[in-house]
Amino acid sequence: MKRLRLAFQLAVIAAAITAGVRFALGRSFVSVETYCPFGGLETAYSFFTRRQFSCSAGETNVALFVALLALTIVARKAFCGWVCPVGAVLEWEAKLARRLFGRRDFGGLWRLPARADRALKIGLRLAVLAVILAATWKTGELVFRGYDPYYILFSAHGHDVRGWSYAVLGGVLLLGLALPLAWCKYLCPLGIVLWPVSRAGALRLARSTRHCSGCGACDRACPQALPISDVAEVRSGECTLCLECTAACPSPQALELAWPRVGSACAPAGAKT
Amino acid sequence: MRAPAWLVPLLVVASAAGGVAGARLAVAPSLVREYAAPGAPGAPADAAALRTSVLVVKGVMCVDTAERAARQLDGLAGVRRLEAFASRARLEVTYDPSLADAAVLREAIEAPVHEEATGEYLFGLYEVVEMDGVKIAFAEEEEE
Repeated sequence: MKRLRLAFQLAVIAAAITAGVRFALGRSFVSVETYCPFGGLETAYSFFTRRQFSCSAGETNVALFVALLALTIVARKAFCGWVCPVGAVLEWEAKLARRLFGRRDFGGLWRLPARADRALKIGLRLAVLAVILAATWKTGELVFRGYDPYYILFSAHGHDVRGWSYAVLGGVLLLGLALPLAWCKYLCPLGIVLWPVSRAGALRLARSTRHCSGCGACDRACPQALPISDVAEVRSGECTLCLECTAACPSPQALELAWPRVGSACAPAGAKT
Repeated sequence: MRAPAWLVPLLVVASAAGGVAGARLAVAPSLVREYAAPGAPGAPADAAALRTSVLVVKGVMCVDTAERAARQLDGLAGVRRLEAFASRARLEVTYDPSLADAAVLREAIEAPVHEEATGEYLFGLYEVVEMDGVKIAFAEEEEE
């Protein structure tokens, strides 16, 4: 499954690079923006109030955003772990950083206290989302474009990409060395939109206490640094169902993908999930 | 209840396919421009007499560039309405075929663009590459 996921990620990146270069060379009129589901949310206000799209956003963005919500309801943030090209690049960077700094897990060089980590994951991403949506809905322009790592990476120096855009991208990559997947965890506006949906996602990783030896291999393998060995079911809104944990688990039946048990939709008070 | 691991990539592929297919259901223009109110002088009484041409225009990338391309048709006899689909560089122009045709539309769109702020004319800003499903480059190559 690890190889299949890598194949998915490489295929998406190859497709994004091809789309970006073809558009830049004038061989295609479909830019990489067309395939960004966040564009669907950015243009939602204009689409639903005036039946018109903002800037270069179009129906593909809206349809992909709706499809993404449907996927997230069932498979959590599988999009982030299997499709998002920025997520893939940052995950590879995190793996590289882990080797460079001799770490065994994805905790990173800087370990934020749990409270600060949670506050940033929600608060900072919400703030980024609010600013982007307010500016986009007010101006009708995709104002985020110049700051968007996806657009900067794959548009082949597209419209609105300036020198400072590369500085932003460099900052994101540098931050990712110290705080793995910092963009995804603390800044990605799409991530915070998906988070509540993902928390309610049907598929989850279930840990069998009978088979689990408590070795912690799953915790160390998780790119999101989720404390998998502490919980009976991984219901975190950040789980991307990348299945790195199940691949790392030495006991085949200890950690498995599962549907919710009947009556377990909500965690009991105080339960760790 | 256990779920097979292959379900995750299957769901990813299904949702992507659903999204691409669903794009056909959410079609809406980036820009709509009316050139003459119904009943205005020159407007045909019968809307059925109007014709719509679909032009793919290199240079139309967003609402702003579509708006500028739409202004190129200002004052052109017979042109009634324009719908721009910026994400696909597509303009759908409705016009009175007794007063205009697709070639006239192409000529007007490709004409130098007057930049009001500087008073300059910008050449080659727009290039019509497809008209009513026919790729211009191919058609012109065949003629040669």
